[in-house]
Amino acid sequence: MDSQKNEAPVVIDVRDIKKKFIVYYDKGNTLKEKAIFSKRRRHEVHWVLEGISFQVRRGEAVGLIGQNGCGKSTTLKMLTRILYPDAGSIKMQGRVSSLIELGAGFHPDMSGRENIYTNAAIFGLTKKEIDARIDDIIAFSELEAFIDNPVRTYSSGMYMRLAFAVAINVDADILLIDEILAVGDAAFQAKCFNRMMEIKAKGTTIVIVSHALSQIEQICDRTIWIQNGRIRMEGAPRDVHPHYMAWMAQKNAGQQGTQKPAEDTKRWGSGEARMEKITVLDGQGRERNSFSPEEAFTVRVDYAANSLLPNAVVGLAIYRSDQTYIYGTNTLIDTSEPVKLQKQGTILLHIDRLPVANGHYTIDLALHRPDGFDYDFWRECASVSIAGAVQTPGVIHLEHHWKID
Amino acid sequence: MIATLKEIFEYKTMIWSLVHRDLRGRYKASVLGFLWTFIVPLAQLLVYTLVFSVILRSQIEKYYLYLFVALIPWNFFSNCLTGGVSCIIQQQSLVKKIYFPREVVPIAYVTGAFVNMLYCEIVVFAVCIFSGVHFSVLGLLCLPLVMAIEYILALGITLIISAVDVYFRDLEHILGILSMVWMFMTPIMYDINIVPQRLLPIFRLNPMTNVVVAYRDILYSGGVPALGTLSLAAAMGVVFLLVGLVVFGKLKRRFAEEM
Repeated sequence: MDSQKNEAPVVIDVRDIKKKFIVYYDKGNTLKEKAIFSKRRRHEVHWVLEGISFQVRRGEAVGLIGQNGCGKSTTLKMLTRILYPDAGSIKMQGRVSSLIELGAGFHPDMSGRENIYTNAAIFGLTKKEIDARIDDIIAFSELEAFIDNPVRTYSSGMYMRLAFAVAINVDADILLIDEILAVGDAAFQAKCFNRMMEIKAKGTTIVIVSHALSQIEQICDRTIWIQNGRIRMEGAPRDVHPHYMAWMAQKNAGQQGTQKPAEDTKRWGSGEARMEKITVLDGQGRERNSFSPEEAFTVRVDYAANSLLPNAVVGLAIYRSDQTYIYGTNTLIDTSEPVKLQKQGTILLHIDRLPVANGHYTIDLALHRPDGFDYDFWRECASVSIAGAVQTPGVIHLEHHWKID
Repeated sequence: MIATLKEIFEYKTMIWSLVHRDLRGRYKASVLGFLWTFIVPLAQLLVYTLVFSVILRSQIEKYYLYLFVALIPWNFFSNCLTGGVSCIIQQQSLVKKIYFPREVVPIAYVTGAFVNMLYCEIVVFAVCIFSGVHFSVLGLLCLPLVMAIEYILALGITLIISAVDVYFRDLEHILGILSMVWMFMTPIMYDINIVPQRLLPIFRLNPMTNVVVAYRDILYSGGVPALGTLSLAAAMGVVFLLVGLVVFGKLKRRFAEEM
C-alpha cells in the first residue's frame, strides 16, 4: 500500500454514529393534533444507522455503497451537516463542499451568470472567490453563448451543465458527492469524470455515495459497504465489490424465487451485452500470452448483445499479480464519445507496448453504460506475462537518456 | 455562539445574494417592475389621507403624515412576522440538501424586507419635505440608529418564529391574527398620550412602541427621540436578538428531519 498516504492526517473521523428516524403512521402537525393525539399517535422508531465508525485521511477517496435504505446517504448527509447524529461524533477538518444538490437556489428569470453567483454563494464562496472562478465555471459549462440569457430559456441539459460546472469548481478540502456523475451527455460526463480525477490528484479528500461501482473503482482508494445501518465490509474497491455483487445477485435471486447460482465473484453485470471470448494476439495475429516489454499486442473481445446498445463504454484495467493497479482506461475517457455495440461484434484494443517489470499481469474488461451500470464486468479475464532481457526495478520501464558533461 | 456568528459572516455573500434574488425576483415579471416598491406606499398614503382627512376627520394635525411615518416601519415589522415566520419552510429545498449556517435564511429575509423599507423611506422623506417638516439635524443623525434597533428587534423575533414554525405550522396562522392585534396595541393610528395611564407600562413593554415613537419624534415632529425611548428600544432589541440566536441555534439541528 501507499505508505505516504497512510501517514496523512485524519480529516474525517466518524465515531460510532447512530441515527434514528421516528416514523409516524399519521403525522399531524397542527396544534389540535399535537394536543389531542400526542399519546395516541402510533409511531415506530427506525434506526437508520446503528453505529458506524470510519476514518478518512487527507487525499483519500472513499466510496460508500449499499442497497437503497442502507444508510449510506444518511451518513453522507451527516458528514454534510444537514442531519446530526443521535449518538456518536463526527469530526471534520477543512472546508467541506457537498455535491448533493445541483443548481441550488437557481432563479429561472435570472441569467446564467447571475445564477452562478447565487449558487456559488450558497456553497459558501465569497464574491471575490466567485469572481476568480467565474471564467472557469463558464468555460466548463460550455455555455459561453447563452450565459447572459435567463436560465428558464435553457434546456434541462444546459441547466445541469451549468449547475455541475459551479459545483465542481468549488475548491474544497473535503468533497462529498451523491450520485451526480450522470449529468449531461456522454462527452460532458467524461469531462466531469476527468475533472473529478484532477480534483483527486490535487489532494482533495473525497467521499462518494454511488451505485456505479466501476466509477468508485476508478476514483476511490477504499470502499465501505453499509448494510442495515452497519459497516458490512471495508477495503480496496476491487476486494469489496465482488462480494457486494455476489450478495446482491443472491438476494435478487432469492426475491425472484428462482434458484440462480451465486454469481461469480469475478464477473457480474446485467448481461444485456456479454463478452463471449477474449484473446490476446501478437503482431502476426497469433494467439500468445508472453511478450517482451517492447512488443505490441492486441486484446480481442468477441461480444454479443441482446439488442443494439448505442450508449456503451468499453473499459480496461491492467493489474500486476500482487494487485497493483498498473493502468486503466475506457473509450469514454479516450474519445468522449459513446460506443455502439452491435448484436454481434468484435472489439480490438491495440497496445503498442507494456513497458513494465517482468511478471504476470491480469486484465479486467468491462462493457458498461456511461453512468457506470455494468452490462458485463469481467475481472481477470485475460492475462499476459512480460519477460524482458533485463529485469526492470520498480513498476514501469521509463524511456530515458543520460547526458553527462 | 461566537463561532456561529463568525461563520454567518463568512456566508455574507450568500446573504446578499438571497436578498438580491428576493428583491429582483419580486417584481421581475411585472410591467412596472421596481416602481411597485414606491407605488404601494404611495397608494396607502392616498387612501389614509382620503379616509382620515375627509371622512373620519382626525384632531391630529397632518394626520396622514403622522400615520405614514409610523406605518412604513410597522409594515416592515409586520412583514417579518407574517412572512418571515415561514422563511425556513419556504427555503426547505436548500435546507434539506445543502449545508450553510441556517441563520442565513432569516437574516436574508429580514434584510430584504429592511431594504424594501429603506426604499419606502425615500417616499416618506419626500412627503415630509412636501408637508413642510423642519428636521432637526441631531434627530436625523439618530434615524439610522432607530432603524438599526428595529432591524435587530425584527431579526430576533424572526429567528424565533421561523425556527418554531418548522415544528409547529399553526404559528403562521396565529401570527396573522397576532400581527393585527399587535398593530392596534402599538400607537400607530393613535397617540401614545391617549393611552390610559394604568396601561402605559404594558405599552412600554411592547418593543415596537418605543420604535414607533422614536420614528415619529424624528420624522413627524422634527425633533430628537428621548434618550429613555431609545435606550429602552435598544435594550429590548438586543435581548430579542440574543434570545433569537439561542433558540434558533437549539432548534436548527433538526430542521432537515422535520420538513
